[in-house]
Amino acid sequence: MSATAESDQATRVCASDELAPGEMRPAALGRLPAVVIRLHDGSLHALVNRCLHHGAPLSGGRLGPGSRGTDGVGDHRPDHSVDALRCPWHGYEYDVRTGCTLFDPGRRLRRLTVWEEDGSVLLSP
Amino acid sequence: MTATAQNTPAVPGRERTEIVDVDVHERAALEELVPYLEPQWRRYITEFGWQPERLLPYAQPTAGGLDRADAKLPDGRPGGSDLGLVRDQLLDLYDIDTAILTGWLNASALGAGWPEFKTGLMSAYNDWQVEMWLEREPRLAGSIHVNAHDPAGAAREIDRLGAHPRMVQVMLYIGDKPFGDPFYEPLFAAAARHNLVIGIHHSENSPTALGHHRWFAEWHTLVSQVFMSQTVSLVFNGVFDRHPGLRVAMIEGGFSWVPHIMWRSDQQWRELRSEVPWLHRKPSDVIREHVRFATQPIEEMSARQFLGLIDQMESDELVLFSSDYPHWDFDSPERALPPGLPDELVRKILAGNARATYRLPDAT
Repeated sequence: MSATAESDQATRVCASDELAPGEMRPAALGRLPAVVIRLHDGSLHALVNRCLHHGAPLSGGRLGPGSRGTDGVGDHRPDHSVDALRCPWHGYEYDVRTGCTLFDPGRRLRRLTVWEEDGSVLLSP
Repeated sequence: MTATAQNTPAVPGRERTEIVDVDVHERAALEELVPYLEPQWRRYITEFGWQPERLLPYAQPTAGGLDRADAKLPDGRPGGSDLGLVRDQLLDLYDIDTAILTGWLNASALGAGWPEFKTGLMSAYNDWQVEMWLEREPRLAGSIHVNAHDPAGAAREIDRLGAHPRMVQVMLYIGDKPFGDPFYEPLFAAAARHNLVIGIHHSENSPTALGHHRWFAEWHTLVSQVFMSQTVSLVFNGVFDRHPGLRVAMIEGGFSWVPHIMWRSDQQWRELRSEVPWLHRKPSDVIREHVRFATQPIEEMSARQFLGLIDQMESDELVLFSSDYPHWDFDSPERALPPGLPDELVRKILAGNARATYRLPDAT
């Protein structure tokens, strides 16, 4: 899809400087709730803002490193190679870049298209 | 707000499905209770810094601690502190018909010491609940909180508020004592006298069968253990034989363990009934008549598995929907039950069984 075609369907989320690295904000594409995330490396990501589990708005959750398996009881090592979004209710963890749950890569949130243009953050299906 | 769709029918093809939520936690800051306390107790909060005993050794390792992260107030107050947010996130969002308040502070799960203060604190909590919640929102029903360590005081409190038209339940939180002990008889008699349900609720001071395991995830997996203990204790100590009209709601323990307890209890009664001759019927019959089980935290399963449990319990009238709002393990009324259950069963679990248990008026 060309940038022009994307712009035709785009919904403006906010000004670029209103979404700082490490932050997220809710948005909507018509009736579809979305969460737009800017990671610390500056990259933008957007997911459907509804947890696969009980439908919680994920924008009320927490961004941070993922959890990964370790080999010993009491060995907790956050996985900084994964940027995770943790559900505000039961704590389901999603990989922000793929939308997949960390406990089962086969369960995935729909990703939406997000980009910046002329100082705005834009969103499309 | 961003959330699931409002008024989504839980039963496809129907306009809407009635919902009664039997576990919604309102919360008071201790300072809010001071005006409702008898004067002699006030300075223990305002000057001496009393705090409820908390025996749980863990912090809850969730996005928001005890609460849903999105249920905390912007000013830092915990979830359940603000009626407006309860309306936004629960009553209006899911179009709840009736929500039964189950509170935050219940002396039955605290230590047995200092019963006079704790009994007085329960009275203050109840008066605060009436004024700040029940009188402000008609969709709410209330629970009379009592200090089970002081059964005579608990009975006085039940008699004081038992006729209140919006109070539907006497609330006991689970500590480490089985409530079937005859020591507690005065409070059961008072609840029966006023035709109130006894609500028995898990708490942070409820242990597992082996005390406290190493991790919070273990403790939370095992919440059902204390409900097994309480159910067995009430039945085998003849509470329902003494009070044939009494109903008990087990709240925040799920229900998948119920067939297990029914089968084992019946077996023990057949084999050992000479030890408990005051128990006149097989325990599973007593449970089916008198005890109900709230869904949350619901065991996630398929419709086929769910129907299997209903079949094993030999009744579709035992399970009541509960959300546990605003806590982190909140169950949405739209997602708690597996898809594919019969419409009539869904209607019973979401509202009909609770209406019958709590004698709530039918929805208009």
